[in-house]
Amino acid sequence: MCVAAQKYVNTVTYAPKYTSSRRKVAYLKELYRRKLEVGPDEVKHPSAFGCWNHASEVYAFGKRLGEEFDEQKLAQAFIQKSFVESEKEKQKNLGLLLDVNVEDNTKLAHEGRILASDFVKAYLRYSYPHLFEEGICAIHDFLMSHSTLFHVASNLGVRDLIQSPTYPPSEEDYITTLMAVIGALTHSDLSAANNDHDVTNTKKGLSRAELFVLDFLVPQLIGRDVMEMWELANPMGLLVGLLRARGLGQPEPRMLWDAAKNTIMPVYNVGIYVDKKLIGKSPGETAAIAEEMAARDTLRNLLGMSNSRSPLQLGDQARHLQLDYRLRNASVQEVTSV
Amino acid sequence: MGSSTIPSTFLKNIAQNGIGRHVCQLQRLTLSLCKSHPSSAAARKFVEDDLLDFTKGNPGIVFYVKPRRHRAPVLTAEFLNGYKEMIDLTRCTKEEIAQWIGLMRGRSGVQIMRIRKDWHTDTPSIQGMWNPFMFKDTKLNVTDKMDKSLSEYISKYKSASQKLIEMKKLQKQQKELEQPLKESTRVIQEKKKAASH
Repeated sequence: MCVAAQKYVNTVTYAPKYTSSRRKVAYLKELYRRKLEVGPDEVKHPSAFGCWNHASEVYAFGKRLGEEFDEQKLAQAFIQKSFVESEKEKQKNLGLLLDVNVEDNTKLAHEGRILASDFVKAYLRYSYPHLFEEGICAIHDFLMSHSTLFHVASNLGVRDLIQSPTYPPSEEDYITTLMAVIGALTHSDLSAANNDHDVTNTKKGLSRAELFVLDFLVPQLIGRDVMEMWELANPMGLLVGLLRARGLGQPEPRMLWDAAKNTIMPVYNVGIYVDKKLIGKSPGETAAIAEEMAARDTLRNLLGMSNSRSPLQLGDQARHLQLDYRLRNASVQEVTSV
Repeated sequence: MGSSTIPSTFLKNIAQNGIGRHVCQLQRLTLSLCKSHPSSAAARKFVEDDLLDFTKGNPGIVFYVKPRRHRAPVLTAEFLNGYKEMIDLTRCTKEEIAQWIGLMRGRSGVQIMRIRKDWHTDTPSIQGMWNPFMFKDTKLNVTDKMDKSLSEYISKYKSASQKLIEMKKLQKQQKELEQPLKESTRVIQEKKKAASH
């Protein structure tokens, strides 16, 4: 800032600069105090600094993700409903009665959400064929949860691209935009745009959208215990039902080991035997906890969800998966009522 | 300053980048330079010679050139996670500017910190941590402490009878292995015969 200019502007709001070096510390202290009083700077959109080209940013967004987007649809994916409303309000206040037909991303987001949800379920059923439908739904709910979607969206660089009345945009805006981007991808086959009746090309857009979900959303399962997402109230009851349905005997919990009894850190190791075979075991602080955990471990082993199972098929391994969308895994009710 | 006071972190991969496909985390570059000042000479040279090639090769990075009168050239890099870094380009040659840009392009957008280890995993052991019970046979639960088998001397060498038993076992195994092989060769021969007829 030009010091001379400060003098003339307003000597009340600006701290007058020190005239002697002895006053420097006091001057800086005063500046610091005033800064604390004012509070942190308002977060501003890059366009406020005069460096912003929305069209280029939208173009680069698609290129960065390695997708061929329909430019119009992609641009639409960033327009929030609240933004359109606030713009209309602004025009009304200015006395402009323009009928601007700008479409927001609500419809695209709705389509994207349905596609993502369907794909995630089909993929999970394909990856965990023996898991109960309830478990599949629990993992699906985790992937489609607010926190997971927000985490993915906030790391895709959509913050500055989102057109919303507030900056930074709300978490809901991030999620809607992510879903709308997926929705835009389903409509983004340039050859299909020329010929609406070509079914194969529309399918191509769909499969790109599915790969997008696979590459950006599903990897959030890495490093997480998927069985913990499914809340099981009575694992032993379920185990009994499952064993009966498979024609096996009753589970027989047995104490394998225990140590440090009557201390503050005892440990019990319970194993579950079925037809005299050990099929699961787990430690616990009390015998009851250990038994419950052993039942969970046994369920893991029986449902093909053990910790040592091979990892999920992702990336290049999963480019040509044959997913069947009509397939459903067996539910707890179906299995245990047999 | 000791290492414990310097903030440290583990290796991070932003949003599992590269598991599905790799996304360049550099989002935006802003090069602010002066049109006339000699300190921006190299930056101007970069814009003239290399900028178009760079933008053609990197369509996913938006490049802004910002004229700032009589200011030192500054490069601002913005990443997908919102992190922003500024680099002072005074006294940098054209090649050095290109190197800075290359460095920013390869970064993940995580602030540089001391890394505690060169590797990191969220699940250090899939089998689970070792515990005293892990490889213990439950047979020990019902074996008396004074049982002879626990204190028996285990010889380093095999006895003659042990060796004989092992040889017999080996012979048996080999026979079992040869059995299906012979069968299959017979089947092949029969097929050949049938084909020749």
